[in-house]
Amino acid sequence: MKFLIAIKNTKKESKNILEIGCKIAEGFSADLTICYIGKQSKALIEGDVNLARKTLSEWNIHHPGLEVLEWAFNILKEKGFAPNSDFDVDNLVEEKGRIRMVLSKTTNYQIGLVLREGDLLSELNKEVKHSDFDIVIMGSPHRKRMINKISQFLDTSIFFVKNFNPNWNYKILLCVDDSRATKRAVILSTRISKQFDAEITSLTVSKTSLFGKGYRNAHIWAERYLQRIGIPFNSKLLSGNPVEVFVNEAGEDHIIIMGKAKGNEFLKFIWGSKPIHTAQRANCPVLLVN
Amino acid sequence: MKFANELTRNILFWVQEKRWLIIIALLGLVMYQLPYPDGISPAGYRTLILGIIVISLIITEPVPLPAVALLIAVLEVAFHIAPAAEVAKTYMNDSVFFIMGSLMMAVAIVHQGLDTRLALGIIQLTGNKVKHIVLGFTCISALLSSFVGEHTVVALMLPVGLSLVRNCRKNKPIPNLTALILFSIAYGSTVGSIGTPSGGARNAIMLEYWRTITDGGVTLTYFQWIIMAYPMVIIGMLSTTFLLQLAFKPEFKSMDTAIRRLKIHVAHKGKFSGNELLTILIFAIVFFCWIFLNERYGLGIIAIGGAFLYMATGLVEWKQVSRDTNWGVILLFAGAISLGVQMKNTGTALWIGQSLMNQFSPFIEQFSVIPYLLNIFLTTLLSNIMSSSGTVAVLGPITLSMGGDPAYMGMTTAISSAFGYFSAIAAPACMIIYSSGLVKMTDFLKAGWRMAIMSTITLLLIYKFYWPLIIGFTNFK
Repeated sequence: MKFLIAIKNTKKESKNILEIGCKIAEGFSADLTICYIGKQSKALIEGDVNLARKTLSEWNIHHPGLEVLEWAFNILKEKGFAPNSDFDVDNLVEEKGRIRMVLSKTTNYQIGLVLREGDLLSELNKEVKHSDFDIVIMGSPHRKRMINKISQFLDTSIFFVKNFNPNWNYKILLCVDDSRATKRAVILSTRISKQFDAEITSLTVSKTSLFGKGYRNAHIWAERYLQRIGIPFNSKLLSGNPVEVFVNEAGEDHIIIMGKAKGNEFLKFIWGSKPIHTAQRANCPVLLVN
Repeated sequence: MKFANELTRNILFWVQEKRWLIIIALLGLVMYQLPYPDGISPAGYRTLILGIIVISLIITEPVPLPAVALLIAVLEVAFHIAPAAEVAKTYMNDSVFFIMGSLMMAVAIVHQGLDTRLALGIIQLTGNKVKHIVLGFTCISALLSSFVGEHTVVALMLPVGLSLVRNCRKNKPIPNLTALILFSIAYGSTVGSIGTPSGGARNAIMLEYWRTITDGGVTLTYFQWIIMAYPMVIIGMLSTTFLLQLAFKPEFKSMDTAIRRLKIHVAHKGKFSGNELLTILIFAIVFFCWIFLNERYGLGIIAIGGAFLYMATGLVEWKQVSRDTNWGVILLFAGAISLGVQMKNTGTALWIGQSLMNQFSPFIEQFSVIPYLLNIFLTTLLSNIMSSSGTVAVLGPITLSMGGDPAYMGMTTAISSAFGYFSAIAAPACMIIYSSGLVKMTDFLKAGWRMAIMSTITLLLIYKFYWPLIIGFTNFK
């Protein structure tokens, strides 16, 4: 599998994203790419900025994005994820609008470092298409609309790391419904549960007290699967507004895992969907499975 | 079903990526269908639509800038604003040569590594005291940028400033000192860039507009520009030093360790090399030609002559010049100047200028300064949104038609286009110090409002009292 971790600075939030990302990637023995997406200069001054950056690099003052990547690389090295080599700017390769650092492969997986400049959504989309990532791990954007766009347009699973505290023992809230992606969400949740040693709560929510056949079948399938894998879990069937129930049940100490919604893409663009609204309103990390 | 959903998603993604292009195209289409306002010719109205489209495209950037330059040519012909041959002619002139030559010379000068020499010079001049360093950085950035251009100075000075800041970091954070040092370079080079026509592309564009757009054609030599603008630079660099120290109180007063480390970093350079001397000599030749020969040959021809000398003497290779020169910007300025000329020819600039001024007509008779104030306001606003260099290109023809003396109005536009103190996008130096993460957006506001007020007052005082005094030295009237 291939995971992408997107970070924007060297603050504590980015460190938390790296920590949770590494932990999850470890469970899957996945190749891990760290990507920094910086703001692009206005095109009118871009040439001047590039000229100045050239002289700056001769003074060993590199692009701020490279400093963020170096910081991330050192954290990965501390945790034993990255190869025991130095962050060497001479190993940078420019290709197709991105700058990549060539790194040697560790025993199990490949670490990648990528720098991009431009619009967040568009660059993330290009990076996902370029390397066919299975999960993108990133901080939760402040703008709700951006969460909507990222969830809809990135053709991959997305893990929004929101209010993550590495010292807490997280539990997993598995949201089960009749969507196509639910099965994959259940399967992923078991791997993540093992990695975090976390109990799973399988939750199916119906707007009315009546549960349709699709919901009931999905709920039963999830229970059976979790039983078969041997993961400690409890399951709930609740009625109410699904998004509100998911957010309230999750609180701050759960990782919400749910499938991305099926349905009309145009309506999703305008109104959003249950997973998108959950990601927007939750106060904890949310993984939307593609 | 899956295919249809995927197709819809791809279309929606394209739409949201190109939303500004779609909005601007629709806006243009709607405006094209609307009845013409009074007092403007059909061709003038179509030029107005094109102007709005171009400004919107430059601000929102849904397509690459060179594409905007191409669109200008296409729409000028398609909208029957001017025939193809005339459009082609307006795309190339002395100002475009000047911008091209300046950008190419900047690559050659920066390539020689004169930044370390500059660092040594500054250290020797300023010593270790923070207030002296700030004064030194501001003045040297301002003086240099007025002659070699803002973009060259930024490339030479920022490494020195950033290196000083990095070497200075002690156990506790030093946000104020960092901001003080970096803003002294950024604002210093901005303040200085108005001092001579070679300070920035926008000055050359204003010279071209004066020549082609104003009735009778205003001309100003390199030296006359200096006489008119340099007091603004001198007052600007001194007040910048003062205002920055007011906005950012440094955490400590001396930078011994940082200066020592910087000295070690640049000590290995030894004496001036032949290449370095030749680089300075060629620029000196170009500079003197700009002063003494510009009326005969034009600033642009001299600038590309300088670029030729740098390449002919082997100081820089064509490959390097070709790679590091922003050709897209040259093309865009060519397109913008062409649009500016058409705005004059079709009467659009005059119509916009008069329409703006009509709003203030009751006050203009009492306060002759109003057109200048409005000019400063519009130019400052746009340069903070769009970058200073593009502002003169799109706003110049309008401000020249807003009433008031076109020569003074033009000079006011050129000078106030450097007032992009509030945002990181106005100037390359601001963008770099912002993207370094060492200064915050709020720092721009903290220092910017003081700078803007000071600059506006200085400019108005210069317009009111200094320019009338030196009228004999210029051939404006």
